[in-house]
Amino acid sequence: MSMFETTLDGYAHSNGLRDVNTYYKVFFAICTMLVSLVSQSPVVPLLIFGIVTALIIFKAKISSKFYLKFMAVPFIFALINFIFMAIFFGVGKPLLELGIFNLAVTVDGFNLGFLLLARIMGGFSCLAFLALTIPMTELFSVFEDMKIPQIVIELAMLMYRYIFLFLDEVLTMYHSQETKLGYSSYRKSYKSLGMLASNLFIKTWMKGEQVYVAMQSRCYDGSIKTMSETGTIRNIGARNLILLAVFEVVLSVGTYLTGSLSIF
Amino acid sequence: MNVIETKNIVYEYPDGTKALKDVNFTAEEGKIIALLGPNGAGKSTLFLHFNGILEPSSGEVLVNGESIGYEKKELMKVRQKVGIVFQNPDDQLFAPTVMEDVAFGPMNMDLPEEEVKKRVKSALKRVGMTGFEKKPPHHLSGGQKKRVAIAGILAMHPEIMVLDEPTSGLDPRGASQIMKLLYDLNKEGMTIIISTHDVDLVPIYASKIYILSHGSIIKEGSPQTVFNDVETIRAADLRLPRITHLMEILNKEDHILFGEPYPLTIGEARRRIRQKAQD
Ligand SMILES: Nc1ncnc2c1ncn2[C@@H]1O[C@H](COP(=O)(O)OP(=O)(O)OP(=O)(O)O)[C@@H](O)[C@H]1O
Ligand SMILES: [Mg+2]
Repeated sequence: MSMFETTLDGYAHSNGLRDVNTYYKVFFAICTMLVSLVSQSPVVPLLIFGIVTALIIFKAKISSKFYLKFMAVPFIFALINFIFMAIFFGVGKPLLELGIFNLAVTVDGFNLGFLLLARIMGGFSCLAFLALTIPMTELFSVFEDMKIPQIVIELAMLMYRYIFLFLDEVLTMYHSQETKLGYSSYRKSYKSLGMLASNLFIKTWMKGEQVYVAMQSRCYDGSIKTMSETGTIRNIGARNLILLAVFEVVLSVGTYLTGSLSIF
Repeated sequence: MNVIETKNIVYEYPDGTKALKDVNFTAEEGKIIALLGPNGAGKSTLFLHFNGILEPSSGEVLVNGESIGYEKKELMKVRQKVGIVFQNPDDQLFAPTVMEDVAFGPMNMDLPEEEVKKRVKSALKRVGMTGFEKKPPHHLSGGQKKRVAIAGILAMHPEIMVLDEPTSGLDPRGASQIMKLLYDLNKEGMTIIISTHDVDLVPIYASKIYILSHGSIIKEGSPQTVFNDVETIRAADLRLPRITHLMEILNKEDHILFGEPYPLTIGEARRRIRQKAQD
């Protein structure tokens, strides 16, 4: 099965950085993402994007094709954002007259748009790092240690499990519709997709009900009690911690120094 | 002693489907009991009465001779005694990892963590799934999911284990491995109730058989008694075990008789054939 999410989950369970301490990876991703988000110039976020991308592809050994696919959606979103910002935002002097409706690309619009584009790409590469190198199941234990409310973790746990069942259901139904030529024309596709969506809703509902019954049978009383993990968290090590601290400080200083830098 | 007994239970689903009509079912302590019945007969519905998930519209359900109370506290006690393994393991496995799923039941019983860990380990060992602790359920095959689902109930140490079609969807080897496991558990004193369509496996393991059809028990007794009543078996859209069918054909078509009643298992058939060959 070449399902997108299955691949994602597969990478998370087996990648070059699988054995690196989970906390270390989480700290790294979150700190770097924060630096990327507060940066006032596009230089540092782009640098972060470059470094994290290199880590993902060369260290974690994630296929670059898959990574590109993963980043395509945020990139398109960021690009559209950038274009709109450049044209409609800002009142500074025009950089480029478009010649229609008096529209023009302004300097501060362009700069702001570009900054956002850089931040989004920097931030998303960190998210990709989280998603591609850490299995969800380990993220849950980290969440628990961070004292995130139980109810949130429970919801996330159940959602994680049911995403895969849900996807299987979608795929099975989609293939069966395809087999019956449900997508042979534009109009048929439209109708088939509608049926799939409504059927899916009902099926998911029923499934939820069944799961609840099965949980009740095992004495479920409204809260999922989880075992505390011991021995799975390897020591991060002083060297690694210092490395991380130095890296983040350099980035932060970088944002400070490049704070007033912009393309135009 | 009867560990589970239903007295004239009737169950009607909210949409008006009468799934059970006056069912009297008993499970004697320390036995393996099989419930046979075609699709839609009401097997799953009956099982959900054994641990109080469904409350009968009329009639009563007794566990260890006591009528089930439907208050929360009572239900918790009943559910520790009666473990149900569901037909579809995807309904049962909900946790992100195998270990967390198996630990779910024991954790709900408020056992100390050390004890839970011990139980999880031994339950997974029992079903042959050691080494899969960290795997998410969606990375398992159907048969593996089924075993983890069984481990999840085993870890609760129930007195009675109820399994809804434990062998469906398994390859022949997987199916007999599961049946072997149930057989061993039974030897250790656990009462086992299974529903199945697999008439070939039933006579090897079960000491009592019930046949459910359209919500009513239409036949009960030892495998020998039940499979002797060929009309009832076929009326319930079931069939004889293959080997019994062969013996029936040999008798009726070719007039070769290996003694009646017809043997139900390969072991028994072999004995009879050898005997005849020696005569
Ligand atoms: N939630 C429900 N609402 C209404 N009717 C139901 C519901 N669940 C089951 N039924 C009906 O009750 C009857 C018994 O269903 P049940 O699931 O107990 O059968 P089963 O013997 O387990 O069948 P199978 O071998 O297919 O699992 C069927 O006619 C079914 O359509
Ligand atoms: Mg059923």
